[in-house]
Amino acid sequence: MSHARYEDWLLLDLSPGAELPAVNQALHYRRALYQPGALATYNLFDEDERVRMLDRIDEAYRRITGNEPPPNRGQQPSLTVKETNNEPPTGSVPDPRTEPGAYLSHHRRAKGLNLEQLAAETKIRAILLQQIETEAVDDLPAAVFVRGHVLQYARALGLPDPNEIAARYLAKVKVD
Amino acid sequence: MIEEIDPAVQAGPRIWAIGGGKGGVGKSVVTTNLAVAVARTGARVAVIDADLGGANLHTMVGVPSPKRNLSDFIAKRVSSLSEILTPTPIDNLWLISGAKALLETANPNFGQKGKILNHIAKLDVDHVFLDLGAGTAFNVLDFFLVARKGVLVVVPEATSVENAYFFIKAAYFRKLKRAQPRAQVKAAIDEVMKSEARRSVRTPRDLMAQVMAVDTEAGAALMEEASTFSPTVIVNRVERLEQGRLGAEMGSACRDYFGIQLRCLGTLPYDNLVRRSVDERRPALDLFPQSSFAGAIRSTAAAFIEAPAEKVG
Repeated sequence: MSHARYEDWLLLDLSPGAELPAVNQALHYRRALYQPGALATYNLFDEDERVRMLDRIDEAYRRITGNEPPPNRGQQPSLTVKETNNEPPTGSVPDPRTEPGAYLSHHRRAKGLNLEQLAAETKIRAILLQQIETEAVDDLPAAVFVRGHVLQYARALGLPDPNEIAARYLAKVKVD
Repeated sequence: MIEEIDPAVQAGPRIWAIGGGKGGVGKSVVTTNLAVAVARTGARVAVIDADLGGANLHTMVGVPSPKRNLSDFIAKRVSSLSEILTPTPIDNLWLISGAKALLETANPNFGQKGKILNHIAKLDVDHVFLDLGAGTAFNVLDFFLVARKGVLVVVPEATSVENAYFFIKAAYFRKLKRAQPRAQVKAAIDEVMKSEARRSVRTPRDLMAQVMAVDTEAGAALMEEASTFSPTVIVNRVERLEQGRLGAEMGSACRDYFGIQLRCLGTLPYDNLVRRSVDERRPALDLFPQSSFAGAIRSTAAAFIEAPAEKVG
């Protein structure tokens, strides 16, 4: 641990002399902050600077521990902004029974709406709409909310029989 | 720039300016509930609706139609802010309403802003919560900077985080422009930006390091100015466990990018009861004291109560 400079500890958010487990934990958090799409650095750094920060973090880790940092597997940042598809849909309409999320997304894009616009229309936050489209089961709230959100989503797009769509959606994702 | 605060007024109230850069993040709800929580501890609190364009705090603290508001002060119909301090149904809590502000007063000039701030510093209360409007207009930035205790409210969404950083950037540069002696600092910055060193300037933090290299005095002046810029953040509407880290992560990012401290004062959960409390026009803290939101508000309020009194300016 002899080559570490004060800035290295600072760069990992550590007090000088922190133990190895703390250094490893810090490496994990600091890398997560600079993964592509990390929410907490959203649009703050440009791409070059983001990559440079990751290099500097690894470099600090090397000097502190004298070891190679474990490979950065591009772990998921703890908070991400997923890219959403706002392109007009191509191909046939997805089957609402097997792909209810994609079905909704298809109709949204066919109307030329992005998630923010639909959020303004439905008063449902864009991230929730996105979770509905991607059927992100783990992130979705309780069934009663999902049902309401899907209903509103379908109504806002003027889709026929929103109740049927909501029922199919719930049957597919089986949130409880 | 705003006028300097009257140096005679030193131990005034702690003035918290609450901004956010983005509308719809729950600024007013958070402000109201925090103010109520602090007032409940026995401290005297004034909430000021400084959202000069679109004020609605009065409804949230249960004063549906305040008789006087900030425009009376700006138009000199009253001579001091204490004359427009309106009691609320909540003990120890007063309101200065921005309601029905005239269009022209939504953009007070420098002198008016300085005057408002001087009078705020003279209010005989322990805490002032200034609810700023959305956006990054100079008005909002100046109130945010002069209050010293600036609070940003963000929600875990890309647009909100982006707006918060945009706000911090704008406030930060407005603050650095005040570094003295101005001419020397400006000359040093110009020198850096004309030299090869400009290539290594990617963040404000890099700029400061480079200025330090060409002119120690100017660099020190910039750092001094930056060191007194320490905004805080409250993360609102947190739904998932990992989102609870957003405040701390933004703190890390700000240190890396700006070289400043952004302290997280609290993390508030998403709670359906909050919307119901807004519909009922009462603070969630009163209507649903057992809710998870109310609990988090109370622990966040502790950070406000413990903050040291400090001279403003």
